[in-house]
Amino acid sequence: MITADRATLQYMDQGRPLFACRDISVSVYSGEFLGILGPSGSGKSSLLYMLSGLKIPTSGEVRYGDVVLSRLAEEERSTLRLRDFGFVFQQPYLLGYLTALENVMVAVPDGGDVEFEARELLNQLGLSNKTHRHPHELSGGERQRVCVARALLGQPKVVFADEPTASLDHTNGAEVVRLLNHFRGAGSLVMVTHDPSMLAQADRIVRLEDGVIADSSISG
Amino acid sequence: MAISQDPDPNSLLADELTELETIRESANARAAVRVKRPLAPSTYLLRNAGKTLPLTAVIMFAVLLVAAIIALVNSIPYSVRTIYIYSREMLGIGPRGDPEGTQVVLNRIRRESPVHLNRIMVCRATSTQVNSIVGPWPFVVLGLGQDDIRYYLQRQGVKAIEGRLPKAGEAEALVSRPVALNLGLKIGSNVQGPEVENSYSPLNVKVVGIAETSRWIMLNTIEYQRLHHFPPIDLGLVFADNLKDQNTLDHWAEKRFKGKRTQVFAFFQVDRTTDKMFNTLYQILNVVIGMMVLVITFMMGMLINIYQTQRLVEFGLLQAIGYTRKRLFKRTVQESIVVVIAGWILGTATAFGILNLVKIYVMDPHAYAINTLDPTAFWYTVPIPFAIMVVAFVTVVIRFRQFDPVSIVERRLV
Repeated sequence: MITADRATLQYMDQGRPLFACRDISVSVYSGEFLGILGPSGSGKSSLLYMLSGLKIPTSGEVRYGDVVLSRLAEEERSTLRLRDFGFVFQQPYLLGYLTALENVMVAVPDGGDVEFEARELLNQLGLSNKTHRHPHELSGGERQRVCVARALLGQPKVVFADEPTASLDHTNGAEVVRLLNHFRGAGSLVMVTHDPSMLAQADRIVRLEDGVIADSSISG
Repeated sequence: MAISQDPDPNSLLADELTELETIRESANARAAVRVKRPLAPSTYLLRNAGKTLPLTAVIMFAVLLVAAIIALVNSIPYSVRTIYIYSREMLGIGPRGDPEGTQVVLNRIRRESPVHLNRIMVCRATSTQVNSIVGPWPFVVLGLGQDDIRYYLQRQGVKAIEGRLPKAGEAEALVSRPVALNLGLKIGSNVQGPEVENSYSPLNVKVVGIAETSRWIMLNTIEYQRLHHFPPIDLGLVFADNLKDQNTLDHWAEKRFKGKRTQVFAFFQVDRTTDKMFNTLYQILNVVIGMMVLVITFMMGMLINIYQTQRLVEFGLLQAIGYTRKRLFKRTVQESIVVVIAGWILGTATAFGILNLVKIYVMDPHAYAINTLDPTAFWYTVPIPFAIMVVAFVTVVIRFRQFDPVSIVERRLV
């Protein structure tokens, strides 16, 4: 489904090249839960951003099906992300002036009436009585669950989760991962974390160190 | 035997809390507007009134300031025209220093006039002063015959008279309501006299009538002026059938008697002179307003920049999940348009309100003229929303061009 072929992401730091990821080749298969594991600064978030089209590799390429993401215009990549991908970030970013329900509905701006599906998702994620609360009225765990609902709305083909448990305690973090995995349906899940225990349900785990793949394993 | 037990207080408290939670949730649900498009511009603007109202208020005050300044400055020439608009009804004409020349000139007009003449009358005139926004302003007291006074008042649209008409040869005058207000005159007041500043007459001329009209009028009798005023030269007043013909006659007369020993007085000359007098003032005003618009626009640009900076997380998040720059730009532009238009409407409405207060409490008591619906004043405010809009668009474009959503979701820019 998504294939990175010798994908490299290089930054210039005070005139010196700095590699966030180097020559990474990895695939995300349809319906699988791929875990990307590694210590801080190992390039795991950079890899996730390349796989999702948020960053373009400086060399190599990332394909989504037959489409080479770097050959798409930025507007086309954005449209693709909105249509086919869902995102959960480290911080539970929500729009403060919208209710939980409205924050979820934001994921499908032109999708017609998605209110019913958004309500259903919030119900399934245990937030049925919080749909009209604003983010400041929710706990950290609840906010991240709203983000999960937003990522899952519209049944995306791939959900990208960048350390979604980073701002949560272990219990809440594990619950968020469980919910993501449970409700992603037929979609793939790509999750970045530095905590191996969060990837207990992953189908495959890729471990990064210093911007390169250290090893890859099939879980369970 | 049945023993009644008191309910457990903890259980009651828990029940009450659950009930309160349910009530609160259903209240929230009722209060929440069913939003089909959560990112509609109105949603953001209405739910962030604390941020959008100050922006709207700045635009409102800018528009108010410009509209009020222009309307107040315009009130000066407007006052001048209002004071002299009575002269639109007739052509004044007189020989230069030749007492015998009046009838010669009037006969020539009778013969050669391009329009039908409704009435020709002979009058005398003495100078006096009225008060304007910019200080004392010259005015005339016309001395007319009794029949001519009636005709003149009818032409000036007089509906009623408080008091009576001046008697022939007596030291009596009739003024209109605006003149009475302007000079603080009542029936019995002296309008001219030996000690009346800038309005000399050898006798004290008392007001015996106040005419109800918006026109500025000061009349006494020709007999009184012939007896007591110098120079001994009659003037002619020539009335056409209507204002259109009058205008034709006035222009014809100016051309016909140009270079002759004849002086022509017509309203279009007042109009032309007023334009010339205030031309420089308006040039200065344009520079001042231009600078003001520039400063306001620059300030608004900075405010909009701060406003956008406060929303970086929102833009970053939306762009990261797949909103295109075009879509975000369109939304921001729509919001800006709503804020700017709302500010402009509020500004013009407030300006109208304040100018009406100025009219009621400052201008009307002295019969000073001001147009509270001055179209020029409101045209001057139109560049403000456009300039602000341009600055807003440029600011947003620059911001979106340099914007990297990853820096937001990675918390590098938050």
